[in-house]
Amino acid sequence: MIRLENVNLSFGNKVILNNASLAIKKGEIAVILGPSGAGKSSLLKIMLGLWKPDSGKVFINNKDISYLSELEMLPIRRKMGIVFQGNALFDSLTVEENVAYFLKEHGGLKSSSIKDKVSEILSFINLKGTEKICIDQLSGGMKKRVAIARALSFDPEIIFYDEPTTGLDPINSKSILELIKRVSTSGATSVVVTHILNDAISIGDTLSVINEGAMVETGTVHDMLQSENKFVKDFFYEVFQEAALLKSKNFNNNN
Amino acid sequence: MASAILNFKKRILALQEYSLMLRDLFLSIKSIKKCRRDTITQMYLIGAQAFLPILLGGAFAGIILALETGHQLDLFGAKTLVGRTVSLGMVRELGPVIAGLLLAARTGAKNASEIGAMQISEQIDALRAFGTSPILKLVMPRTIAAMVMFLPLTAIADMSGILSGMVVTKLSLHVDTSFFWHSAVSALLMKDIFVGFAKPILFAYFIATISCFYGFYTRGGTSALGKNTINAVVVSSLIVLVLDFIFTKVVWELL
Repeated sequence: MIRLENVNLSFGNKVILNNASLAIKKGEIAVILGPSGAGKSSLLKIMLGLWKPDSGKVFINNKDISYLSELEMLPIRRKMGIVFQGNALFDSLTVEENVAYFLKEHGGLKSSSIKDKVSEILSFINLKGTEKICIDQLSGGMKKRVAIARALSFDPEIIFYDEPTTGLDPINSKSILELIKRVSTSGATSVVVTHILNDAISIGDTLSVINEGAMVETGTVHDMLQSENKFVKDFFYEVFQEAALLKSKNFNNNN
Repeated sequence: MASAILNFKKRILALQEYSLMLRDLFLSIKSIKKCRRDTITQMYLIGAQAFLPILLGGAFAGIILALETGHQLDLFGAKTLVGRTVSLGMVRELGPVIAGLLLAARTGAKNASEIGAMQISEQIDALRAFGTSPILKLVMPRTIAAMVMFLPLTAIADMSGILSGMVVTKLSLHVDTSFFWHSAVSALLMKDIFVGFAKPILFAYFIATISCFYGFYTRGGTSALGKNTINAVVVSSLIVLVLDFIFTKVVWELL
């Protein structure tokens, strides 16, 4: 579905991505995990074609999009949805207008069909009744839901989430993660970029750890816990600790 | 020295980016129908809402021109030529320039700050990510709206300048209004009207594209937005004056 081959990206002397390779299968929730400044969001923008790599290749559905022009990218992007870290909602519009925005832009649907579609999506994300509310009157969690609703409006094949729970309280974070899981059951491929380990573990089918622009390890949570890589061990330190604690508790209980 | 070279390099790169934006704008002409609704909205914002400042700007320019030239001409007993001077001055030079400068400030600041704020909050990336061309969505409607609306606005500035000049000439120099009007209208040739109405189209194109470019070029936070908004207004205003000079020089040598 998505394949990156030896992607390099630099801004001036600063290396952002260093020979990054990655493969994401159709329908899975792939989490790209790493510390702040590791190159996660850059990787996402490369996958979306918003940024062009200095070298390397990016394939979406086996089509090489690495160096397509902006105009050539537009139809490909219509099969993708993205939830930006800061939501990037149009703050002068209402919830309904935000969700319907790109449906109207790209045409093809009657206004009654657009209304039905928006209503259906808002029901799905538990925001029914908020249609006429302006974006600036919503809480952080609700804004995130509207951003997800907007990303869903096209029934995209791939949805990208950039730090979906950053800045949210634990309850809202949990509900957003549940929503991401629910969205993926429709068959869409989800790519989640996060630095929060617990989020990654709770939703990721596969985890890809990135550090200083280079992919360090890719696999399931189990694979990560078996990893001998020092950075992965450090990053998963808390999980190792919890696992060790659990093991010792079980051992004490058995004795 | 090094910083001066770096600064120069930055300016060249900015000029390159601006040229690329103009190229994309040109290539988007084939999809011009898609931005009809946005163009009408912008025509209202750029045109109808600028009516009062343009009316007042033109009126005061006409008053000043009538007073200054009237008193000088009166020294030679030629105050009857005031009507001719005011009409030629307003239609050929002051009308387009006053309208241009006021609109560079008003429209330039509006475009740069709106698009800049969208850039900072990732809304431009959202447009691109969802398959909408920001050039077609944001730059094209603003450019067309400016080019269309600058013509009637310039006519309003010209007219209000001539009429207010007529009133002030009557009150302070006691020149009969019908005499003033007759000499003002008979002095105008076809080429004066052509020059007076060709300039605003050129001004509008550059004011709209330069201010949109500064919006797109906003990187960083709110201070960059403020700086770019100032730059958009300053550069647009200077361009109006430079183009006025070039246009006047070229046209008077050709016609």
